[in-house]
Amino acid sequence: MRRVAVIGVGVTQFGRHERTSAELFAEAAADALADAEMPAARVQALYYGNVVGGETEKQLHTGPQAASVLGIPTVPTTRFETACASSHAAFRHAVMEVASGTSDVVLVGGAERVLNVPTADSTEYFAYASDASWEQTLGLTFPGVFALVARAHMHKYGTTEEQMAAVAVKNHKHGVLNPKAQFRKEITLDTVMKSPMVADPLKLYDCCPFTDGGAALVLVSEEVARKARRPIWVLASAAASDWMLISDKRDLSRVPATERAAAAAYRQAGIGPHDVDVVELHDCFTIAEIVATEGLGLFEPGAGGLAAEKGWTSLGGKVPVNPSGGLKAKGHPIGATGAAQICEIVTQLRGEAGPRQVEGARRGLTHTLGGNTATVLVSVFGRE
Amino acid sequence: MSESSHGKDKSGVTLGRFFEQAREGALTGIRCGGCGALAVPPKELCPECGARGWEPVPLSGEGTIASYTVIRVAPRGHAGDAPYAIAAVRLREGVSLLGRVVDVPLEALAVGLPVRYRPIVVKDRPAIGFGPV
Repeated sequence: MRRVAVIGVGVTQFGRHERTSAELFAEAAADALADAEMPAARVQALYYGNVVGGETEKQLHTGPQAASVLGIPTVPTTRFETACASSHAAFRHAVMEVASGTSDVVLVGGAERVLNVPTADSTEYFAYASDASWEQTLGLTFPGVFALVARAHMHKYGTTEEQMAAVAVKNHKHGVLNPKAQFRKEITLDTVMKSPMVADPLKLYDCCPFTDGGAALVLVSEEVARKARRPIWVLASAAASDWMLISDKRDLSRVPATERAAAAAYRQAGIGPHDVDVVELHDCFTIAEIVATEGLGLFEPGAGGLAAEKGWTSLGGKVPVNPSGGLKAKGHPIGATGAAQICEIVTQLRGEAGPRQVEGARRGLTHTLGGNTATVLVSVFGRE
Repeated sequence: MSESSHGKDKSGVTLGRFFEQAREGALTGIRCGGCGALAVPPKELCPECGARGWEPVPLSGEGTIASYTVIRVAPRGHAGDAPYAIAAVRLREGVSLLGRVVDVPLEALAVGLPVRYRPIVVKDRPAIGFGPV
């Protein structure tokens, strides 16, 4: 298999947009191609992530639509749907296309538009990623899924609501430093603790927002990368799944798919969790960040809450997590999230992250979770 | 029941059949003919041993809450019900089901609380409920 590198990244402003998801992707993709100094005519395939386009935009077949709006209508393209992990799944398959020698230049990205529909509708559409017969019928929501995880984690390890709130405070603090973030304002522990309950014990400020946005990156073979100004190498890209039903998971305080994907990624990269300098992970809810830091092996099981409380995951801490502001503050345009996380890690490893730069970062990791913890992707990147 | 409505599921416990029986108050699990593993239908292959042969087994419907939440911001179709409690319940037999908790005060919900299956209807569809023992 050939080595693969990212040589260009592009992310739109995250927040509310009056443009279609295809337009948002096209803006990010054109930025990524410009960043890579790569003519669009050299792109050989598009791997695309989009989740609820069928519901919010009445739009399927979003791959060719995105390629057409970008201006590369003839490249082969496929839309990936693994709920919130969609564009990270697209990325992993694109890595295999380039590594295998099938293509030398591939575009990866995703986009989502949800703020054009009321919250009750988007809440319902996101719930379509849980089981229709067993879970949607009950009125289970995504905050509800992670509330079940939170309650189990609190019961098993004594994790507190204040420790979860510390994750939100930290990610908002990071988000202030990211000009693309949806929320650029600091919040206090009190703000989180006094915000209204969404699904006990998760409050409004434990939850990431609904977001419109797009992200894209240019993935190339080693031969092409050698001619690029600052390639960032893909050291690993791994996926894992788990039982679809929440009730089939034996221990709700853990996300086994994260543990399996991380183990596979570390093996591929030939490194361990303590060799990682910067992490972008899936903090769709504050508890999700705590459980992910444990599943990725950054902290012992049960120590994720303490790590957030002590500032070990803040910029300047032991291992900075979500310097971009994470899904919590940067925003979560679900189809774009995996690609946007990769864009942030590439920016960090290039040393171009400005005030949110993790000094001297040489290796970075991205973690994206899909749906009711049934899909997880983990990728590892390096300067060499 | 005609052959075709059961498809090729040898246990006879399709998703539709499970909920037909659940509506009548009976929970039906499936036991692997190969290794004896207990599961919630529908499943084609045993995740433990790979065998393709299940037998239906009645479940007691008695269990304890493994985790729970109270949904306050509900999806469009459930907004009229909010707030409502949802719990993952570990049944005595070892398998778990997710259900709405009814007739238990929200502040009395707790991990470890014993509950019993209660058929409920949500938006005209049979669904899993749990009530006090």
